[in-house]
Amino acid sequence: MAKDPHQDAGPTGIAKTALKLTVNGQPIATKVSPSVSLLDFLRDDLKLKGAKECCSVGECGACTVMIDGQSVNACLVLAAESDGTNVETVESLSAGGQLSTVQHSFLKCGAVQCGFCIPGMVMSAEALHRAVPDATEAEVREALSGNLCRCGGYNRMFDAMRDAAGDVPHCETTAPVTGKSVGADISRLGGIERVAGTQEFLADIDLDGMAHLKLVSIDVGRARINRIETEKAMAVPGVIDVITAADLPHPMPHFGPTYRDRPVMAVDETRYHGEPVAAVVAETKEIAAYAAGLVGVDYDALPAVCTVKQALASDAHPVQDPALRPGDPMAETNILKERHFGWGDIDAVTPDLVIENTYTFPMVTHFAIEPHGFIVDATDDAMTIWSPVQHPFLLQKIMAQLFDLPLSAVRVLAPDPGGGFGGKQIPKFEPLVAFASRRTGRPCRLVLTLEETFQAVRRAAAEVTVRSGFSKEGDILFHDINSNYLIGAYADVAERVTTKGNYLGCGPYRVPNARIAARAILSNTTPSCAFRGFGTPQVNWAVEGQINAAARQLGIDGFEIRMRNVADKGDEIVQGDVPADGHWLQSVQKAADLLGWDTPKQPGRGRGIAVGIKAGATTGLSNSTVRLLADGSILVFAGTSDMGQGARTIFAQLAADALGAPYDRVKVIMGDTSIVPFDLQTSASRSTVFMGTAITRACEDIHAQVIQLASDTLGLPEDTIQVDDGNIILPSGSEPIFDFVQKKLGAWNGELIGNGRMRKPTDKDHPLGGSPAFFEFNCTAFEVEVDQATGEVLIHNHVTVGDVGKALNPLQVEMQDEGAAIMGLGHSLYEQVLLDDDGRIRNLGAIDYRIVTTKDMPEKMMTGMIENADGPGPKGSKGVSEGAILCTAPALAAAVADATGVVIKDLPLTPERVWWALQEQGAVAAQ
Amino acid sequence: MAEACAAWATPGRDARLLFGGTDLTVGLRHGHLTTDVVIDLKRVADLAADIGPSKGMLRVSAGTTMSALAAYLDREGLFAALRDAANVVGSIQIRNRATLAGNICNASPAADTVPVLVALGSAVEISGPHGSREVAVEEFILGNRQIDLRRGEIVSAVLIPLARQNCGCAFDRITRRRGVDLATANLCCLIDERSEVVFAFGSVAPRPLVVRSIDPVLTDPSATAHDREKTVAALCAIAAPISDVRASAGYRTAMLGVMAERALASARRRQQVGGTHG
Ligand SMILES: Cc1cc2nc3c(=O)[nH]c(=O)nc-3n(C[C@@H](O)[C@@H](O)[C@H](O)COP(=O)(O)OP(=O)(O)OC[C@H]3O[C@@H](n4cnc5c(N)ncnc54)[C@H](O)[C@@H]3O)c2cc1C
Ligand code: FES
Ligand code: FES
Repeated sequence: MAKDPHQDAGPTGIAKTALKLTVNGQPIATKVSPSVSLLDFLRDDLKLKGAKECCSVGECGACTVMIDGQSVNACLVLAAESDGTNVETVESLSAGGQLSTVQHSFLKCGAVQCGFCIPGMVMSAEALHRAVPDATEAEVREALSGNLCRCGGYNRMFDAMRDAAGDVPHCETTAPVTGKSVGADISRLGGIERVAGTQEFLADIDLDGMAHLKLVSIDVGRARINRIETEKAMAVPGVIDVITAADLPHPMPHFGPTYRDRPVMAVDETRYHGEPVAAVVAETKEIAAYAAGLVGVDYDALPAVCTVKQALASDAHPVQDPALRPGDPMAETNILKERHFGWGDIDAVTPDLVIENTYTFPMVTHFAIEPHGFIVDATDDAMTIWSPVQHPFLLQKIMAQLFDLPLSAVRVLAPDPGGGFGGKQIPKFEPLVAFASRRTGRPCRLVLTLEETFQAVRRAAAEVTVRSGFSKEGDILFHDINSNYLIGAYADVAERVTTKGNYLGCGPYRVPNARIAARAILSNTTPSCAFRGFGTPQVNWAVEGQINAAARQLGIDGFEIRMRNVADKGDEIVQGDVPADGHWLQSVQKAADLLGWDTPKQPGRGRGIAVGIKAGATTGLSNSTVRLLADGSILVFAGTSDMGQGARTIFAQLAADALGAPYDRVKVIMGDTSIVPFDLQTSASRSTVFMGTAITRACEDIHAQVIQLASDTLGLPEDTIQVDDGNIILPSGSEPIFDFVQKKLGAWNGELIGNGRMRKPTDKDHPLGGSPAFFEFNCTAFEVEVDQATGEVLIHNHVTVGDVGKALNPLQVEMQDEGAAIMGLGHSLYEQVLLDDDGRIRNLGAIDYRIVTTKDMPEKMMTGMIENADGPGPKGSKGVSEGAILCTAPALAAAVADATGVVIKDLPLTPERVWWALQEQGAVAAQ
Repeated sequence: MAEACAAWATPGRDARLLFGGTDLTVGLRHGHLTTDVVIDLKRVADLAADIGPSKGMLRVSAGTTMSALAAYLDREGLFAALRDAANVVGSIQIRNRATLAGNICNASPAADTVPVLVALGSAVEISGPHGSREVAVEEFILGNRQIDLRRGEIVSAVLIPLARQNCGCAFDRITRRRGVDLATANLCCLIDERSEVVFAFGSVAPRPLVVRSIDPVLTDPSATAHDREKTVAALCAIAAPISDVRASAGYRTAMLGVMAERALASARRRQQVGGTHG
């Protein structure tokens, strides 16, 4: 019996089977292919997009649903297995229009950041809440440990579960607020959608006629491609196209933010494990994946350079074609760039103590719970791109250049990212998907697997050697820093990461003499890119390690040596550049106080402390348009991406207060380059400062118009009218602008439009192109205990304090800070991408790459902040969100050293590494 | 049941048995495994979740999930070590699907329940076209992902001896983090009523590794720690673990000693408290 292949059989030709089940109370009778997972069935067939896909192997829990009342990973269940069962998805929890208790508590307690993990997390939480309504924290940690949240909302989730149980946790959000909203714990805009599972992420978008891409890559770090066999894949019913380099323009177009060195698809040679050599376009993602396995690639493995040593060896092959770097004297080497900074004269001082050490920082990957995805609908003269990109306007520019289109013909729609952390800044596969769309005449979609995402983004690994001089009293006299950052096969922004991180390599200290050499070194590995902390955690691991080493050798306490050397407001840090912009010693003191630095320590425990700073944005332009409508409601247009940091909320708060309106009357419109005005980027914790200022100025523009409006309609001279703090002040009295315009604006002309901009021009002579607009300062402290027999580190207390200027939304600041702290714990304790000798990633995917789960959370985690309203942003705010990741590792290592006496200079501090260090110490002691 | 056995025995097809799917689906997804037909054993009524004593054994039907098993053992105060092992398999979502029989049949050297089952002297009950047979778990697992199961045969239950009194048993494992993780190494220690000590090691060899000792040093409270450690170390020496992405051989070897000591201590405590297997 002949069957239509699309109707009844999957790609492997197996007939569909009947399926009867109940989903969210609705009986369903249908047919499914036996190989389709319940997750795909729910998402693709039933269009219930609440459950998300990330790891596909049961590790992340993003796909959690309930079957017959029990939580399960829908990615591990075949749809056919659910025959006869009762399936509940997140959509059922708020079916009646009311959030469930657990959902409500999640929102209220600030447990929701990017939201991608949340539908699954809420299902696990719901299952626990039903079974054990007054669960203990240990039970909560256990119940949620199968759900990963990379934004690090765990602490807030513990609070949320207490809240759901009827306890009152320490922080609450008030929503909606009338009156002043800045400074209040306003609930997150977009929060309800995120807990309810209705927030639309990239992979949730369906377009008519959309085709699906699957990449083909080869399983080795570097290879010469001899021949690609596509016939078998093309023959699969449902395959539309198989694209290889030969099908793309010749010469192959290259792109990149600064260096245009990345080919749209590898030609002749692959340079890192996972670099695609072909792409299959098919009617469904299953068919594309199946056919991709049939593309035959004949290749010869080539030696790969994967370490600093290999890349710098005199006989190392150049990772990139030297022709890509014309005029660069180092084009034949793997050194993409070498930078030198410094001041004073390090050879002129005579220190009492000189310490020299080499520290290593591993490759780590972003592991956003939302894997990267792209959709492009392209014709010859225009294209629309959907990408959860952090910099929509940069994507627009790069695509316009690459395809020779006017900017106006390239529209970028940027759905909120499900976690970015720097990994979603720069275009990756958008160009390839655009070519596919042009060739097939269809909108094309590529959603990476988590494994492919690991191969697409990572943080630069580093080897940093530091020689430091100290006086016997503990004053820092000099640092001589030699940083080798191992970047990947293409530059992305890795060179900027290296430069910016090392420019502030000496940290937030008064250092009279410094010499810094920083190299960005190409290798046959995943292109490294921006990652929370942007190059600072690596060098700071080394330099803070030196401060801790000096403290130990000089017999000074880690806290004391910092109080002695950390710069305070106005002190110079990099000589000749802007000075310290905050009372940083206050933060150090507060961290010590929160930890109880002066209290007696229990035997076996150790404490450690460290500091870090990161340069805020140095240049750039943000524009905003604010429209005040006749009924007083407000539209704010901003080009920022809201990836969990809550930019939307802050922007709404600022506009609400500036125009005297209730917070819930503000709508923030983002993520469409054809509607919102230009914003350079969402990075470097800049949005509050840059976009926040632009919005504030746009509101000021409106204030001037409100005065005109009042003068016109009331017949008063303009100089008798003022605007202050959201109110209009008339001779007869004052009232909120919101109220005033409702009476007057309609009659006048309908709406007021304000424009605002913040621009920090480029300074050609500055090594960073401009001084930092602000610094993010953080102090982190730990109290730990180490299991001497296994090497396992148990964290009793983890404290972080940031110098935030002004917390526009204290709850969000805490959420961001904890998120960064938890991510810092990841690279301090577990995370590392491991390569074999051929450059293959050995721990690809969620099973062997460990990030922090609820059960790995410190027993106690506390966040503090110092607010002196001394930042350049609205109300004196500074950027936050990266601070707490800057010095996690050195503070933790100091605590481990304090507890055990072992000093470790390589991350992560896995149980095994700590154990080996303890063995060595034992062996030395025995001698 | 007969139908499932027959389907599975049909020649010329590459068929796979599926229970919770927490291993099988991952394997299929990653392309380690391929198959034409998946036989869902959850549909076989004879295998449905069922735990209870039977002929001196605790009979755990093949359809019993880790969650159900752990809850039962907790309620009945039975086999604390098995309960502990079942409770660390994956996350709650995994344990709600993963079966005890599947954990054995998957024959991963890192399987957490296997060392406990082996130490307790458990067996699998196998049904096939030619009737049923019982095989000790220790014998049943032939190597990494290899089991003594013929085409057409299905594991219908796991049988754990109940009769033995005054035993103490403990499970321990080492992982890279506290949250969901596969064991870097794991083991079970059983002290029986005659003070024989059994260690069953996991993750250190392709198949379960068992050592037995009646050395009184192990159970004698007056023995010195040093002597006990020496004896434990000698027992652990039969394991020759490998280095892989999770740990080096050296660390694994050392951790066996650490876990053996710890498990021995808790097994002794449990034995003193009394009851079946503490
Ligand atoms: C995220 C994650 C974490 C995990 N963590 C752990 C862990 O910490 N410790 C641990 O030990 N395991 C862990 N596992 C694996 C564990 O879930 C499985 O080993 C589970 O017990 C297998 O049971 P199942 O019912 O899911 O088996 P399935 O996946 O259905 O089957 C597994 C294998 O056994 C065969 N099989 C199943 N039942 C029978 C039967 N009755 N007769 C004959 N053959 C059969 C199948 O054909 C298949 O080859 C983890 C798995 C995941 C996905
Ligand atoms: S657990 Fe299912 S997608 Fe990760
Ligand atoms: S909110 Fe959990 S991953 Fe972003």
